[in-house]
Formats: sequence, structure tokens, C-alpha cells
Amino acid sequence: MIEVRALHVTLQEKTLLSDISFRLNAGDYLVVVGPNGAGKSSLLKAMMGIIDKDSGEILFHDQALSDYSQRELARLVSYVPQSSGRELPFAVEDFLKMSRYAHHSALSEWQPDDQAAVEDALRITNTAQFRQRQMTTLSGGESQRVMIAAALAQQTPVMLLDEPTSYLDPHHQVEVHRVIARLNEQLGITVIEVSHDINHAGQKGRQVLALADAQAVWQGPGEIFLEQERLQRLYQQEFVFVTHPRSGRTIALADPL
Amino acid sequence: MTATTKLSLLSLLSLAVMLMAPFAGLGDIADELVRQQILYEIRLPRTLFAFVAGAGLALCGMVFQAMFHNPLATPFTLGVASGASFGAALTVFLGLNVSLLGFDAITLGAFTGALAAISFVYGISRLHYSFSIETLLLTGVATSFFFSSLILFTQYLSDINDSFRILRWLMGGLSISGYQSLLQLLPIVAFSVGIMIWLSRELNLLMAGDDIAISRGVAVKRVRYLLFFTTSLCVGAIVALCGPIGFVGMMVPHICRLIIGTDHRWLIPATLIFGGGFLILCDTLARLVIAPAELPVGIITTLLGGPFFLWLLVRSRRSA
Repeated sequence: MIEVRALHVTLQEKTLLSDISFRLNAGDYLVVVGPNGAGKSSLLKAMMGIIDKDSGEILFHDQALSDYSQRELARLVSYVPQSSGRELPFAVEDFLKMSRYAHHSALSEWQPDDQAAVEDALRITNTAQFRQRQMTTLSGGESQRVMIAAALAQQTPVMLLDEPTSYLDPHHQVEVHRVIARLNEQLGITVIEVSHDINHAGQKGRQVLALADAQAVWQGPGEIFLEQERLQRLYQQEFVFVTHPRSGRTIALADPL
Repeated sequence: MTATTKLSLLSLLSLAVMLMAPFAGLGDIADELVRQQILYEIRLPRTLFAFVAGAGLALCGMVFQAMFHNPLATPFTLGVASGASFGAALTVFLGLNVSLLGFDAITLGAFTGALAAISFVYGISRLHYSFSIETLLLTGVATSFFFSSLILFTQYLSDINDSFRILRWLMGGLSISGYQSLLQLLPIVAFSVGIMIWLSRELNLLMAGDDIAISRGVAVKRVRYLLFFTTSLCVGAIVALCGPIGFVGMMVPHICRLIIGTDHRWLIPATLIFGGGFLILCDTLARLVIAPAELPVGIITTLLGGPFFLWLLVRSRRSA
């Protein structure tokens, strides 16, 4: 349902993405990994129409991105930006309601199914208890869940998430990833997530796209991603591998020696 | 208190100001006929004119604050009003006498100047992908200086009478008589208000930042150009008729946000009502302070606005 072909993006003569291609089916979960500045965020922004591409194609349902109006695109794809630290002057529920923009025209009224979408999003992300709170009073973990809830209220079959777990403590990282997994597995939402967590990427059921210097250096299924030579080339860093004592999964650890 | 209650209270307050303002300083005129004439031909149109101009200025400020996510960003701080002033001054100096779609030459000149200024400031801010609000404000300051010196240049070349008229006009005043200026301004402000109400959901989303607004489905570029055009038209028309009246667009929407919140479906009517009432109040003060002479209202608003600007600056520094 998603196809990216030979995507090329530059900004002020700097190449952000060069010759990126991949395909995803509905319900896939793609984790985009790579060192800082590799172009991961740019890929999501290009797919959301936030930055313009120079050449190549981005297709949703075999239709080019440029053939969608921004409003049509927002009914198909939602986006959770990297935490900007900027304070948003809204109450949580109002912010979620604003996500229903693409389902409305300038004159249309708030409908029961709009409210239902907001309620579902609050429930799934476990944020209903602070619906009345101002966004400025939320902690990092709460605020990240609200950002996901707001994207969810948009009710799109595709969701793009830019480092949704950075700046979160281990408990909230697990919780946010559990929410995303639930969206993917139970609601069948196609997920593209940018992450620095290689062990999160290297799991069964995930696709991995590794970017370095604006180029795709590897793509494949998550369960074979964690491999010494590959990680070393990607991050310029030695790794050691251990087996998780309970799940039996391979875990990669950056080796400081 | 609900938003409806707050809005009703604001309306009552504003209405009271509007009803009382025409009578202020009218008591000592004994002749009933003269009194009537002053009331209907001077005071009433002036009060209504102040309301429309104040509402327009406040709403344009509100739009800029939403678009740039900062209370310090207004058509005045970003040099748009200076651009409009120069456009108007140049039209007067050159003695241009064209009209288009019912707008006179000075309005067209001010509109063009406003549009040029905002295009310039916005263009500069886009040169760097990660521009900061400081860069934007400094660009605005530089633009203001640039246009101010162009105005001085025009003034220097003018004869003493024109030069004095330009100076008085630059102080910002509402000394009109009759209803002509009001009828000239009203449709432009009404059009702008219509556009803003139509775009109130988009304005809400723009407050959350461009990336979020785009991902929610707002065609941000198109909305922004439409709003630049509308505010340039509105600021241009007001500047052409009253001169640059500073800081109304900064203080009023910010105070309204504190009172009624950030939802533009409420903020727009609140800003309109408060902005109108506020300028009437300032104008009444300007008439009474050194009566029987009167001050240009721009002096009053700037005297209030300067400290307000500093307060905002200190506050935003502390929270950052």
C-alpha cells in the first residue's frame, strides 16, 4: 500500500535523502534506524508532505503523494513529530479534537463519530484521565502518549512516528511501544517508526530500513537485523551480543571497549 | 466561568465604553444645536471609526501571533506597519491619484508597502531552515528602521507643510469628521474578519506548529499566503486612514488569550470586541488628557504598549 521509489530530497543544497526505495503492505511495521543526521526524520517529513521531494515517487494506494490534497493525505497518514519541547497552549481533549480537522469542512459540525474517535484514542493510549489537563502541565511520558493519541484520533490507516520513545524513562518507553504494537497488531495500522533502539527494531514481525548518509544501506526483516558487521558499518561502533535470559532473543549492546 | 459568559461580559464592557465615549468632554457646551452637531457629525463617527480600526488592528496582531507562535510577533514589530506607512507616504509625496476596485491611492500604496514588508521579512526567515523567533523579530526591527529612514527621506524632500502633515499622521490619530472614513474602512475590516473566522480551525492548528498543522491536513502555505494578503490589506487600510497606531495588535489579543483561551472560535470575537473598545478608550483619553487640545492616539497606545512589550519579553525569557 506504500511505495517509495528512488526518493531524492535536498534542502539548501544539502542532500537529505538519496535514492531511497521501499515497499510496505498494509499492516506492516517498519522501523527506520541509522546514525544521527542520516535522514530518518526527513523521510517521514517527505512522506507527510512537510518537506518537498526533488525527484522520485511516494505512492499511497498506487496514487502519488502530489495527487492528494493535504486534507486527503491527512485522512490516510498521521504523524507524531519528534518532541520539540515547545509548549502547546491547549487542553488535552481540545488538542485531540483539533486532529479531526481533515474530516471536516469549514462549516461542518462536530459529529458523534468525531467524539467517538477522540474517546477511542484516549482509551487506547490510556490518557483519558488527563483529558482536562493543559498540555503544558504534562510530563514527558504523558505528553508523548497524548501526541500519539492525537495522531490516532485522526483515524488513519498509516502512522508515522519520529522517535516516539526518546527522552522517556525505561518504563514509559515500554509503555509507548506497547501502545504502538497494539495499534499495529489489533487495529492493523501500518506503522513507520524512526528509532535509535536497535533491539526494538531487531524483532520478529518488524521490517528494518537502515539509513546512513542519506542513503539506504540495508533493509530486511527485523529478526536478522542484529548482526555484528552490519551494525558496525552502520554506527561505526563495536557491538556485543547476548541472549535474553527469558525471551531467548538476541540483544545487541554497544561495546565501549 | 464559561467562554460564553466571558464573551458576554467583554461585549457589555465594550458597549458601555462605546456608549459613553461620545459624551466625554461634551458637558461644557451650552448650545444644544452645536452640541447635537458635534455629537452626530464628529463624536459618533469617530467612536465607530475607532472601534473598527481597533478591532482590525487587534485581529491582525492575533493572526500574526498565531502564525509565528509568539506574542511579540505582530504587524508592527515585524515592520509591516512601517512598510504600509512608507507606501502611504510615498503615494502622498508622488501625488499619485489612481484608484482600483474602489480603493484610493493611499490605501493601495499602504497595502503594497505592507505586502512588500511581510514578503521581505518572511523571505528572510525562510533562508534558514531553522530560523528562530529572535531572527524574525530582528529582521522586523531592521525592516522597520529601513522603512522609517525611507519615510524620513520622503519627508525631507517634501515642503514644510507636507512634511508636518506626514509627521502628524505618523503619530497615529483618529481625528476624522463625518462618516466617509468609516465607510471606507468598514468593508475591508469586515472582509478580513470574515476570512479569519473562516480560517479559525486552521489558526488553531497553526498555533501547534507548522509540522503538526500540515500533518493534520492544513495546506499551510496557502493558508499563510491568504492570511498575509488579508492582514496586509487590513493593516494597509488602517495605516492609510489613521497612521500607524502601535501595540494594539500586541496587547489586545494577548490579554484576550489569557481571558478566554487559545481557541480562535472564541478568541476572534473576543479580540474584535476588546480591540474595538480598547481603541475607543485610548482615543477618549487622548482627547481629554490635554483638553481642549488633543493628543494623537498613537502616543497613548505606544506609551502603554512599550512597557507591555518589555513585560512579555521578560516573561518569555523566564519561561524559556
